[in-house]
Amino acid sequence: MAGRPGIIILREGTDTSQGKPQLISNINACQAVADVVKTTLGPRGMDKLIFDGRKVTISNDGATIMRLLDIAHPAAKTLVDISMSQDAEVGDGTTSVVLLAGSMLKAIKPFVEEGVHPQIIIRNVRAAAKLAVEKVKELSIPYDMNTEQGYEMLIKCASTSLNSKLISGHQDLFSPMIVEAVKALDDAGALDEIKTLVAIKRIPGGDVRSSFLVKGVAFKKTFSYAGFEQMKKKFENPKILLLNVELELKSEKENAEVRIESPEEYQSIVDAEWQVIYDKLDACVKCGANIVLSKLPIGDLATQYFADRGLFCAGRVEDGDLKRVSKATGGTVQTSTNGLYDGILGTCGKFEEKRVGDERFNVFEDCPQSLTSTMVLRGGSEQFIAESERSVHDALMVVKRCLKSKAVVAGGGAVEMEVSKYLRDYALTIEGKGQLIISAFAKSLEVVPQQLCDNAGFDATDILSALRRKHAQDDDGKWYGVDIAEGDICDTFESGVWEPSDNKCNSLAAAAEAACVILSIDETVVNPRSQDPGGAAAQQQMMQQKPMSNMMGNAMDAVNAQKGGSRSGNLGNGVSYMRGRG
Amino acid sequence: MSLIYDEYGRPFVILKEQQAKARVKGLEATKANIIAAKSISQIVRTSLGPKGMDKILVSPDGDVTITNDGATIMDRMEVNHQVAKLLVELSASQDDEIGDGTTGVVVLAGSLLEQAEKLLGRGIHPVRIAEGFEKAAEVAIKTLGEIADTVPFSSDNLDPLITTAMTTLSSKIINVDKRKMAEIAVNAVVGVADLERKDVNFDMIRMEGKPGGSLEDTELVNGIIIDKDISHPQMKKTIKDAKMCILTCPFEPPKPKTKHKLDISSREAYEKLYQQEQDYFKQMVQQVKDSGANLVICQWGFDDEANHLLLQNGLSAVRWVGGVEIEHIAIATGGRIVPRFSELSEDKLGKAGVVREISFGNTKERMLVIEDCANSNAVTVLVRGGNKMIVEEAKRSLHDAMCVVRNLIKDNRVVYGGGAAEIACSLAVSSYAETIVGVDQFAIRAFADALDDIPLALAENSGLDPIQELAAAKSRQMKENNPLIGLGLNGDAGEDGSRATNMKEIGVFETLVGKQEQISLATQVVKMILKIDDVITMGQYQ
Repeated sequence: MAGRPGIIILREGTDTSQGKPQLISNINACQAVADVVKTTLGPRGMDKLIFDGRKVTISNDGATIMRLLDIAHPAAKTLVDISMSQDAEVGDGTTSVVLLAGSMLKAIKPFVEEGVHPQIIIRNVRAAAKLAVEKVKELSIPYDMNTEQGYEMLIKCASTSLNSKLISGHQDLFSPMIVEAVKALDDAGALDEIKTLVAIKRIPGGDVRSSFLVKGVAFKKTFSYAGFEQMKKKFENPKILLLNVELELKSEKENAEVRIESPEEYQSIVDAEWQVIYDKLDACVKCGANIVLSKLPIGDLATQYFADRGLFCAGRVEDGDLKRVSKATGGTVQTSTNGLYDGILGTCGKFEEKRVGDERFNVFEDCPQSLTSTMVLRGGSEQFIAESERSVHDALMVVKRCLKSKAVVAGGGAVEMEVSKYLRDYALTIEGKGQLIISAFAKSLEVVPQQLCDNAGFDATDILSALRRKHAQDDDGKWYGVDIAEGDICDTFESGVWEPSDNKCNSLAAAAEAACVILSIDETVVNPRSQDPGGAAAQQQMMQQKPMSNMMGNAMDAVNAQKGGSRSGNLGNGVSYMRGRG
Repeated sequence: MSLIYDEYGRPFVILKEQQAKARVKGLEATKANIIAAKSISQIVRTSLGPKGMDKILVSPDGDVTITNDGATIMDRMEVNHQVAKLLVELSASQDDEIGDGTTGVVVLAGSLLEQAEKLLGRGIHPVRIAEGFEKAAEVAIKTLGEIADTVPFSSDNLDPLITTAMTTLSSKIINVDKRKMAEIAVNAVVGVADLERKDVNFDMIRMEGKPGGSLEDTELVNGIIIDKDISHPQMKKTIKDAKMCILTCPFEPPKPKTKHKLDISSREAYEKLYQQEQDYFKQMVQQVKDSGANLVICQWGFDDEANHLLLQNGLSAVRWVGGVEIEHIAIATGGRIVPRFSELSEDKLGKAGVVREISFGNTKERMLVIEDCANSNAVTVLVRGGNKMIVEEAKRSLHDAMCVVRNLIKDNRVVYGGGAAEIACSLAVSSYAETIVGVDQFAIRAFADALDDIPLALAENSGLDPIQELAAAKSRQMKENNPLIGLGLNGDAGEDGSRATNMKEIGVFETLVGKQEQISLATQVVKMILKIDDVITMGQYQ
C-alpha cells in the first residue's frame, strides 16, 4: 500500500472484489460446498460427522449438514439458503438441490470465462428451468390417494426417502408408521399442522426395531414429587383436565406483604394460604377429572392430594405436549381453576403410564380426535436416534407432499435423465447462445445419476451412457435410472423408487434460482467488522490466556502455542489485505 | 481445513474459522474411526467372561472405581474421541435396556469393525459391508430364537432363575459366594415382581451399601432400610407394630409463604408469642399422639425442643428423610403422606411389623430398618463388604444379576452361554453366506468370523488356547448338531484335549433378549460408524 498515493473511498480493511474473477471465485466456492455434501446422496451415500465443539452430529441430511458447516463465504451461503428452503418447503431432497445448483454453475462456468454476459446466461437458465419444471409436471403420474394403490404409493415414497438414511434397513417398519401418522392428519384435513401434531420422541437404548407409533399422545414422565408412585397409573375413558396453573403452596403475589398484630393471627394467614391451594385442588377434583396435567409445576402437596383421591397428575408438561393432548382429547387448557365444568375436559379411550426402556411414558390412546400421533424412536446411541429422527422427519414431509401433490415421478436419476434429454432436444430447435446454455443446463442435470453411481462405486461413465441411450431410443425408457443393487440401469418406476413430483419441481426451480443469483453478482463488498480491532486483540488475549490457564501444560508448549497463535493471527490479517487489494 | 485457492491464486474462505477446523474424509476417515472404536473395544475385551479381569478407574476427583462391568468402565473412562463415544453409548444403552452383556456388546462391535476394515481393504463399499452385516444379524437373531430354550420357573421353583443369576455373577468380583448372592438377587426381584403381568418395578428394590463386614454379611431385608437414625438417643430403638405418621411438614410454628412481618412492641406481646410457639409444639405432638402413631417420620428437621417433647410423649422420631425414601416408606407401609398436622388421622398411618435401628461394628453409624410392612412389596438389599469399592462393585454386580432375573421373568427364553450361542450363530450365518451371490457374501462371512471372536476372547481371558478351544467346540457342534456345546472354562480338559462341554448340563445360560439385543445393537452402531466418510471438527480453541 505504501508509496502509492491512493484515494481512499472505503474504510480500511474493506474487502472488495469485482468483475469476472469475482464471479468465477464465487462459482468455485459454491462447487466446493457442493463437493462436501455430494457424497451423502443416494442409498449408498455416506454420513458426515460434524463436531462443533459441544455436540456431535452424524447426519446424511443435506440441510442439517449445510447448517452445521457454518459457511462464511457470502456467495456460498446462497446454497445453504436453498437447502434450507427446500427443507422448509418439501422437507426432503436437500442434498440434491445443492448438488444441482453446484452442477449448473459448473456447466455454466466455461461461458462466463469465455465472456458471455451473465444476464444472457441467467435468462436462458431461467427458461431452461421453467421448461424442466413443466416437463416434470407432464411426466408425473397422478394417483388417487384413497385407493389401495394410493396407500402403496405413499409407502413407496416414504421408503425412497428413507433409502439413503441410516435406518434404510428398517423401511418395512418405519414406512407404514409414517404413512399412518400422516394419513390420520389428512383425513382430518389438518395436514399443514403436521409439525405440531406429529411428535417424535426419542428414547436412547434398545433396538431400532422396537420403535413404535402411538396413535395419540405420549410424553415422558415429568418431574414428580413424593406421592407420585401412590397414584393410579391406568385409566379407562378418563376425563382429562388441562391447566396452565401452578398447584403449589406459595405466596399468591410476589410483592405482597402481610402485617399482623398478634400471634393468633399468624395461624389465620397460614390457614388462608392453605385454603387457597385446597380450593384449587378441590375444584380440580370436583369437576370430575381423573387426570390433571399442567404446564406449570404441580407440587408435592397437590400430588399427594390427588393421589389420595385416585387422580393422576403431571406438572411441568411441555407446551407442545400439552397442546397435542388438548388437540387429541378435545380438552381446553385452562388458566384458572375457577368455573371448571364438564365441557372443558378432554377424554380418551385409554391412559397408561408405560415403561419404555429406562424411561416412563404417559400414553394417551384411542382419542376421540385421532389427529395426533407420537412416534417413539429407539436406538443404540443418542446420535443414532437423532439421525433417525431427521430421517423420519424427512419421510413425514415427503408423504405429506405426496398427499398434496397427488403425483409421483420415478427417482434414481430417471426423471433427471428424461428432463435432460428433453432439454437437449429442445436446445437444438433454437438459435443463438441459448442453445449452448440450455444444453449445458441439460447436461448439468445428469449430475444426479452420476453422483448416485459415484457414491455406490460404479463406473459413472458407463452407466450414464447406457442411460442416455435408453432415454434417447426408447419411448418406454423414460423411467430408466440407476440400479443401485446391481450396478446397472433399470426401470426405477417398476422397482418402486418414487418421489413426489413437487419435490423435484421445487429442487429444480430452487437450484436454478440459486445459480442465477450467484451469476448476477459481480462485486462483493465485505465491510470490516466494526469490532474487528478489539475482536482481534481479544482473540490474541484469549490465546495467551489459554495456555496459562492450563496449569498442567508444559511451559514450552505454552510459549509455542502463543507464538503459533500470534503468527497465524498475522497471517490472517495479511490474507485479508491481499484480498482487499485484489 | 487448509485454504482453497481459485484459478487467480486468491484464497477464499468458505467456512467460518476455516483454518481452525479439521477435516478428514473418504476412506481415511472411515479407517480412522474404525481404529478409534477398535481400541476402545480392546480395553474392555479382557473384562469379558468368568475369568475377565477388573479395571481400576480413577476419576478427576480421585475417586477410585474397580469394576469389570463394561458399561461402568466405558462410562468412567471419559472417552474423548467422537466415534469412540458411540461405543460408550452403545454399552450404556445395553445397560439401560437389558442390564447385562455390556462388555459383550462392545467386544462384538469391535470385532465387526475389525472385519469391516479387512473388507474395506479389499475395496468393498462401506455401506455394502454394513448392509451385509444387517442381513447376517437378522439370520443370527433368528437362529438365536430357534436354539432358545425355555426355563420353567414358578414362585415355588426359583432354581432356574438362580442358576441364570449365577452365570451373570460368575464374572464378577462377588463370585466367591455367588449362590447366596444369586439367591438374594432372585428373591429381591421375585419379591416385587408381578408374575401374572410379567412386570417388575425396579423402583421398589432399594440397594444400600455400607462398607464394613464381609460380602457374606450382605442380606436381603423384606422392607426398607434408610440411612438415618432415631433423632434422640433415649427414644425407643425397636418399635414393634409400628404405626408411623409420614409428615412432609416441619415441627415448627407454621409460617405463611407470603412475605410477612410481626411487630413486637412490648414485653407482654413477646411473651405471648413465646407462649404461642410453645402451644404449637404441644399441639402438634398431641395431634400426632392422638392419631395413634408411635413413630414419626419427618421429611424436615425439628429442633431440640420438639425432639424433647416427642421423647416425653414416648414417640420415636426420624428426621430429614429424603423425598424418595418418604415415598417408598409410604408405599411399603400403606401409609399416606400427610402435609400438615391438622390432617393426621389413624387411617393415614403406615404400618410395619417392626422398626429397629441397627448399628454396625463398633462405629457410630446406624441405619433404620423397617420390616414386615403392610404392603410387603418393597425390598432392600443391604450390601456389606471390606471397603467402599467392593461394596460399589457388589452393588453393580447385583444390579446386573437382578436385571437378568427381571428379563427372565418378562421372557423366560434363554440361550446357552460359554460362547455356545455365538458359535451356533456363527455356523448358521456362514452357511447362509454360501447361499448369497455377490459382495454381500463376504460381509456375511465376515460377520460369522466376528461372532467367533466372543468365544475366542472368553478362552483368551481364561488362559486357554483360544483357537484350539473354539475349533473343538465348533466341530462338536457341527458333528453332534447340538447348539448347546460351548467352552467349558472351568472344567478339565476332556479326552480330545479340549474343554468343550454341553452348557446345558453345567447350567450356564443367558437370556435370549439380552443376546439378541447385543447383536442388533452392535450391528446398528457398526453401520453408523461405517457410514461416516467425513469428519469435521472445530479447532482446539472452541
